[in-house]
Amino acid sequence: MRILISIDDTDNLESRGTGDLASEIAREVNDKGWGESSYVTRHQLLVHPDIPYTSHNSAMCFAAEIDESCLESLIDHASAYLARESAAGSDPGLCVTVVDRLATPEALVAFGRKAKQSVVAMTEASALAAQLGIHLSAHGGSGQGIIGALAGAGLRLSGNDGRLKGHLSIATTDDTATVRDIRAHADVDDVRTLEGSPLAGDELVRLRGDKVKTVLIDGKSVLLVVPVAGTADGIAWQNCTKQQLRSY
Amino acid sequence: MWQINQRGERAFAGGNEDWPGAARMAALCTAFHPDVEEEQVADEARSCYNCRYRRWTAASFVCGA
Repeated sequence: MRILISIDDTDNLESRGTGDLASEIAREVNDKGWGESSYVTRHQLLVHPDIPYTSHNSAMCFAAEIDESCLESLIDHASAYLARESAAGSDPGLCVTVVDRLATPEALVAFGRKAKQSVVAMTEASALAAQLGIHLSAHGGSGQGIIGALAGAGLRLSGNDGRLKGHLSIATTDDTATVRDIRAHADVDDVRTLEGSPLAGDELVRLRGDKVKTVLIDGKSVLLVVPVAGTADGIAWQNCTKQQLRSY
Repeated sequence: MWQINQRGERAFAGGNEDWPGAARMAALCTAFHPDVEEEQVADEARSCYNCRYRRWTAASFVCGA
């Protein structure tokens, strides 16, 4: 069955980031033979004086395909891991969602979108999780991270929010690859322009530096590209910069 | 380049889109420390926008260094 595992508020100014903890849990899902995890996505939530975030207020989420019999072991393990590894002063929250059991997935998506726009109370997050049958637990501090954890699951489920954690390593020739070769990467589903148009397989894309990063659009990991101005070598596109991806 | 906000924090006056300004400030700063990869947003590696000690606000960020 497909699950979403989302965590939030595990760090402080000196610790590892929440993304690293999410990646570690994802790795352990695979290593323990519970299932197969996908990439981790980062989801921006509201920054507001009334919200006690460390520096950016983002949640981290990954999907996994697991055997149903492993669900409780996974939740227990992730809970213990967060309690043990979260930084001093943090307020970690864990959300584990069984996607096929959601009677109203749109309610979870709506909650995620709401948490990007307004201040949400812990009681609202807990009530929605109970209503939808979602595991939502606090593992230290005030437990405020349950809000972001639930929101992160909703935003991942929406399929249209967030950037993938990490950079992709894609083989190139003179820093250039075809769209077909880029799509062959396990963590890339599509290559599109910023306006949303997909590119043909034989089009050439210049991949700038080692900062190749995709975003989540239509439930896919998409490499966004922009036109290259004034080239005579047939290269019409290049990957977006960090700054261009900031809003995702 | 800096303002003191109502909470007494040092707020970046350039907002959240002054990429050259944030890079200039970071170049002058001895406390700069890069944030984790997924939280970096500026193309210049050394930028206040990429620093672990910046705390984003709706319009800009405050420096916690």
